[in-house]
Order: sequence, then structure tokens, then C-alpha cells
Amino acid sequence: MVLLGLIVGLVVLFDLGNKLMTGQVTASTLFVLVWRGIVNGLVIGLAGVGLSMTYSILNFANFAHGDYISSGAFAGWAATWVVAGLGVADIGSLIVLGAGGDVYSSQLQTSVVGAPLAIVIGIVVAGAGAIALSLVVDRLVYKPMRNQDGIALLIASIGVAFILRYLLVFVFGSAPRSVAETPPAVKGTLAGVQYSFGYHELTLVVCAIALMVGVHLLLQRTKLGKAMRAMSDNKDLARVTGIPTEQVIRWTWVIGAGLAGVAGYLLILESGTIAYNRGWILLLLIFAAVILGGIGSIYGAILGGLVIGLADTVSLVWLPSEFTQAAAFGLMILILLFKPNGLFAGRTTA
Amino acid sequence: MSLLNVSSLDAGYGDLQILTDLDLEVEDGEYVTIVGPNGAGKSTAMKSVFGLTSHMGGTVTFDGDDITGLPPEEIIHYGVGYVPQNDNIFGSLTVRENLEMGAYILDEVPEPALRAVFDRFPILEERQEQKAGTMSGGQRQMLAMGRALMLEPDLLLLDEPSAGLAPDLVQDMFDRIDDINDSGTAILMVEQNAKEALRRCDRGYVLVNGQNGYVGSGDELLGDDEVRQRFLGG
Repeated sequence: MVLLGLIVGLVVLFDLGNKLMTGQVTASTLFVLVWRGIVNGLVIGLAGVGLSMTYSILNFANFAHGDYISSGAFAGWAATWVVAGLGVADIGSLIVLGAGGDVYSSQLQTSVVGAPLAIVIGIVVAGAGAIALSLVVDRLVYKPMRNQDGIALLIASIGVAFILRYLLVFVFGSAPRSVAETPPAVKGTLAGVQYSFGYHELTLVVCAIALMVGVHLLLQRTKLGKAMRAMSDNKDLARVTGIPTEQVIRWTWVIGAGLAGVAGYLLILESGTIAYNRGWILLLLIFAAVILGGIGSIYGAILGGLVIGLADTVSLVWLPSEFTQAAAFGLMILILLFKPNGLFAGRTTA
Repeated sequence: MSLLNVSSLDAGYGDLQILTDLDLEVEDGEYVTIVGPNGAGKSTAMKSVFGLTSHMGGTVTFDGDDITGLPPEEIIHYGVGYVPQNDNIFGSLTVRENLEMGAYILDEVPEPALRAVFDRFPILEERQEQKAGTMSGGQRQMLAMGRALMLEPDLLLLDEPSAGLAPDLVQDMFDRIDDINDSGTAILMVEQNAKEALRRCDRGYVLVNGQNGYVGSGDELLGDDEVRQRFLGG
């Protein structure tokens, strides 16, 4: 099996080299695909870290995670619009992101170039909004079910997901719309390869990597982080050791949902368009990334996100665009055949 | 007044009652073991002291304070440490991190207590950066005890400390428990290895069907023909 995988991998690599040499695929095209894969992969990974953390500490797959992403994104963008649009339009229209069709993003110049302060405030509000939401949901739904098994919690979380999604529709409407303006990209040529980095792509990459490093340091260096790893390792022992488990659970939501909210905001910043079901649609890819990486491990979620993101874009070299997501999931299945518990299996590092 | 006083305790899991009218005492610095046949409720008795069972009646007092029905995360503040039988270390954390978790309720890692644990179990100092899950059974048991000793408890609860250890390590483990007791920590221990436990302890309880069977000094119980025949295999 491993040999077969190696042969397939080598054939694919060889074919890629061949296509590059013969000019069927240019280096510039490949650059675009790889860069897009990294950008998408980092969003998936960032959102996946939160999902993996709540899974490892609360022992259930939170299907509402995708709607935490959407809710954070809407909260953050509403804040961005209010800050960027004060004086341009009335505050009610701004808060609902122009649901009535009376304000447009082109009037507000909402980009990191046109309104940097509004974007920074938006990122913070996106995180804070998702955190507040997750704590309220935990108190109302998950905490009363703390001693139930993972399946009951999973089903409850699907209910939560639907409620959140249709609350978003109720407030913001169901029509997708443009909320961010894309500034011109930084372009150039290096060693014959044309490159192009969007300001919003760069913002996303920098924020995502900074947050991932932050979570890593938190888990490895701080007392709270060590307690989180201890709890994901053995809840009963954590309790008899005197670790305040409910407090650790609250902090897990704070970090997991905060990352989800920021990931949602960055996703919309980079793509420009918001819709009530963006998070829900992304959740499938996030689950693929998290399972591929080994559910429960944050490093697995990051690596899994990059693998899924890259597979989704680089497969365009061989496949028509309709099939690229299938290729990403195909790769996930392939890896799980060799490593059934994911790439970081058994390393429960919260 | 005794350090630990369990009086007429009824307890169990959920609706299932296991212990009936149990009385148990541990004096300051005393070494007490609980022995008895399988299913007699030995571990349940110990877990009840530490708030891990459903309380159904009776009282538990520690050093004069009523700790009846309190959860473990509060009982630990009174000076009681507990070493479970299985899964008693955090395998994915390093040895040192395991010990740090033992002192989680303190603001800072207590350096003197950490030093004392390292002096008592030098292997833990050597291996402090190693992942605890990669250690041998005997080392894990030392780490589990070390973790519980980080708060310098007045009473240490040990659930089957010799379970799963290779035979040549069992005596060593009992010697270490003697040492902990000699330095002033009271011990309440549940042991399958009843004869050895009774030889080592100050006083023993024989539990039968969740109730007090026999009580006496270790030597008295070992010398009692009925106890020997019924519970110690002759």
C-alpha cells in the first residue's frame, strides 16, 4: 500500500515536471495555484484549530462551528461598515450590511488600503462576537448536556447550526453581497515567474500565521495551555488534580470560537463576498482537514488545512475545476487509508 | 480528633448503592489500608472520601472540616491527595508538566515541593522533559504519586498502587510508600496485595459487601484465623 502511494506520488510529480518542461503548465500558473492553495489552506487550518480544540476537550464534533465562522464574519463586517461608513449612510443600513440595497461596499472603500482602521476593528469584533456567541450557546445548550455522550451533543450542535444560520438570514437577508473592495495586487516578475500578491491575501496569511503561532505558544508555554492539554488527555484525572475543568472549557470556547470568527472575517475579506452559508459550506472542508490531520491535534488541523487547500487548487493542473474538491476529498481518503487516525494520530496536543 | 473521619457513610454510583453505613478513621500521620474481596467496595470507599461517588447519607470530615458531598476540585484544597489506580498520569505531557499540573491550584509552581519530589524520585528529575506516556509502569506510578505530593497533602489516598507492576517492583513501591508515610503524610490505601499491605500498615479495615467487616492493627488482622481463612487465602 505504502509503495503504491509512493509510486502514484512520484508519477504525479514526474508528470508535473514534464508539463512544466513542455510548457503545458507555466511556472507562473503553478505559482498562482500554490499561492491560492496556501491562502485557502490557512483559512481552513485556522478555523480547523478551533474545531479540533473543542473536539479534544469537550469530546464532540461541533457542527455549529461553521456558523460561528459566519456569525463572526457578519459581526465583524457590520462593525467595519459602521466604522467606515459613518456619515456616508445611516447606521441602520450599515449594521445590516446594506441588506435593503441602499449602501454598497464601493461607496465605503472597505479594504486594508481604503479603511485600515475599520478592518482592524472588524477583525477584533469578529473574534469577540464569535466568542460571546459560543459562550452563550455553551451556557444554554452544551453545558446542561456536559455528561451526555458525543452523539447527543453532535445532534444538538446541528440544531444550533440551523438556528444560527437562519438567525443570520433573518437579520442580514439571504442574498450574497459584496462587502469588501479588493485593492490592486502587488505584481512583478522574479526569475521568469510572474507573481501577484493581493493585499487581502497577505493580510490573511499574516494574521493566520500569527494566530497559529500564538495558539502554539499558549498551549506549550502557559499554565492554561498545559491544563488544556492535560484535560484533552484525561478529563477525570484533570478533575482530581484540581484543574478547574469548567473554567478550562470556557477558555477553550474563547480560543476556538475567536479563531473561527477571525477566520470567517478574513475569508470574506479575501473573497470580497459575504453570504449566510459561507461558514457552513466551508465546514465540510474544515472537517476534512481536521480528520486528515488527526482530530484533536491543532498541528494536524493546520497541516490538514494546507493539504486540503493545496489539493483543491493544484489539482487544476490535471482536472477541470468541477472536480478539484473531489480531488481534495480523494486525497483525504487516500491518506486515511494509510494513516487511519490522521497524520498527527496519537499526539493529543489539544 | 482524627484527621479523616467517615461516619455512617452510604454512597454509590448513580442510583446504585455500594457502601452501607461505613465507618472509617485515619489519624494524623497514620498508615491505613482497606482490604477485602473483589467487589467489596474498597475503591468506592476511597473515591467517596474524595467526592467521586454519589453521596447518599452519613458524613465525611477532614481535619475538623465537613467535606461531605464536596467535589474533588474542592476537596483537594483541604490537603487530600488522590492517586487513581489506572490512567493516573497525563501521557502526552512531559514529566515536569505532569508535576506542574499537580500544583495547578497554586499561583506558582512550589519549588520546595518540586525539589522534594525530585529527591524522593530521582528518576523523575532525570526524565523531566520526557513525555510521561513513554515511561514504564513503575516510573508512571512514581510520577502519579509525585504529582499528588506536589501540594504536600496531609492525607494521600492510594488506589491499588501495586496493580500492574512487575513483581520485583512491588516491594520497591511499598518501600516508597513507607518513606512517604515516615515523612509525616497519612496514607489511606486500597490494595489487592492484602497480606503485604497489612504487614506494612498501622491499621487495616476488611470491607465485606460494602460494609465494615473487621478492623484492627495490621498484625492483628494477619493473626486472625477467620480473616486469614476468608480473605487472605489461608
